[in-house]
Amino acid sequence: MPVPVHSPEDVALSLTLAVVAASPAPLLLLDGKLMIVAASTSFCDAFGVNPEDIAGQPFLASYEAWDTPQLRTLLDAIVSDEAQADDCEMEVRSPRGPVRSLIAQARRLDYLDLEQVRILVAVSDVTDARADTASNEDALRHNDVLLQEVRHRVANSLQIIASVLLRNARTTPSEETRAHLKDAHNRVMSVAALERLLSTSGQAEVEVHAYFTSLCENLAASMIEEADHISLSVEGDDAIVQGRVSVSLGLIVTELVINALKYAFPDGRSGKITIDYNFHGPNWILCVRDDGVGMPAGGAPVRAGLGTSIVQALAKQLHASVTIIPQHPGTKVSIEHMQIALVQDEPETMSEPVATASPSAISS
Amino acid sequence: MTASQTGTTGKTLMIVEDEALVAMELRDVLEEAGYHVFDLTERHAEALEVAKRCKPDLALVNIRLAGRDDGIELAEHLKALGIPVVFISGQSSRAHSAETVAIASMPKPYDAADMVIAVAYLLRSLEGDHSLPKPGGLEIFDHNGFDVAPAA
Repeated sequence: MPVPVHSPEDVALSLTLAVVAASPAPLLLLDGKLMIVAASTSFCDAFGVNPEDIAGQPFLASYEAWDTPQLRTLLDAIVSDEAQADDCEMEVRSPRGPVRSLIAQARRLDYLDLEQVRILVAVSDVTDARADTASNEDALRHNDVLLQEVRHRVANSLQIIASVLLRNARTTPSEETRAHLKDAHNRVMSVAALERLLSTSGQAEVEVHAYFTSLCENLAASMIEEADHISLSVEGDDAIVQGRVSVSLGLIVTELVINALKYAFPDGRSGKITIDYNFHGPNWILCVRDDGVGMPAGGAPVRAGLGTSIVQALAKQLHASVTIIPQHPGTKVSIEHMQIALVQDEPETMSEPVATASPSAISS
Repeated sequence: MTASQTGTTGKTLMIVEDEALVAMELRDVLEEAGYHVFDLTERHAEALEVAKRCKPDLALVNIRLAGRDDGIELAEHLKALGIPVVFISGQSSRAHSAETVAIASMPKPYDAADMVIAVAYLLRSLEGDHSLPKPGGLEIFDHNGFDVAPAA
């Protein structure tokens, strides 16, 4: 049986129509008068039409709903070569269902036949995507409301715990018990200060400098009498850390400041406590230093106790090491987290373990 | 009003708070600081009664009150009586949304010692004395001075 011979023009046209017909996305090929040359099977399925019925029909008259001013303007601009490509979004009532949100993207085809204008129109049905987006936005709003409610309850609960601890501290006849209860109260308030910041900012991250400043204000208000001449100050970078990390950092600062206030300034000695947090990439160092009486001679661990064990445990949780360094005068406690080794530091930053943020770090 | 009715500072306060332990502790701390605190209340109606009878210098009002009463609605009535309100609530966003009926907000969880400082600051500011530094944690709503005149 002889194989039929086709002209190259017929082959090219046939290939074009086959490509359009096979397109998985709804696709139309129009001529310069906006008559439908071909439609993809996916287009016909999506809009419930027969490919043979619409071939040669005027596109905009095929469906009344398609004939929107936006789409007409778009196609006219492309036919008259005022625009090569453009998009148009519209709401179209499908013959088999509810209103659909469609995006029509039209392109003027650039090919060898300059006389015959051909326009390719791709139609995307974004109804479900829009519904998903709306649904996700609703879910996010709902989550936001729930988060606010949880935070409100956490704030209330922390307030009740703090009130009970303070009440017990004020009514107990034992000085020692009172001191322990006040320490416990300060620990709760350390978490409370963080919770207040998270609640106010609405973010999951915390600006460390603001958090430590708030902590120090609380500690100063509850532990430093007017007659005392002790100041608390916060220095360092404007770092931002995750809420769960800042809880541990805040508790460490609370313990170390309480420790310094208890032991570093006996007999009305005046002085200063400084909290300093600096980071360098993923590495960070937290220092609490005072200019008090310093560690006793011989290095006896007079400051060992619950506070010390809390600091050790939290540092371990943060994969950080604790170093106590005698100063002249006073004591410095460093909590250092070294995740990756740093190279090519400037000489001055080498002498000071961490000074500025820089991406110039490599894995060890 | 005798000295024992006004405390050593000569100033009077009212606390409207549905958490009894929180309210009691706050009252005791403020009384130790020299303020006279009127009967603790936890609902709108009883708080309004105390406010009308006692005319406190400042009302500390939680937003969520007992019996589903709303502290913001109470604050509107207190403002109409010329009583300045500071919100003491963990609902910061709601407190902000009602900044026209209160002069400030001290969000929970607050430290009782901070609250004493905040109350002193607010009372001094209401008298036109702005020499004290603004306490940490206290959010001031009216930056142009404290307007507690009854609503028109």
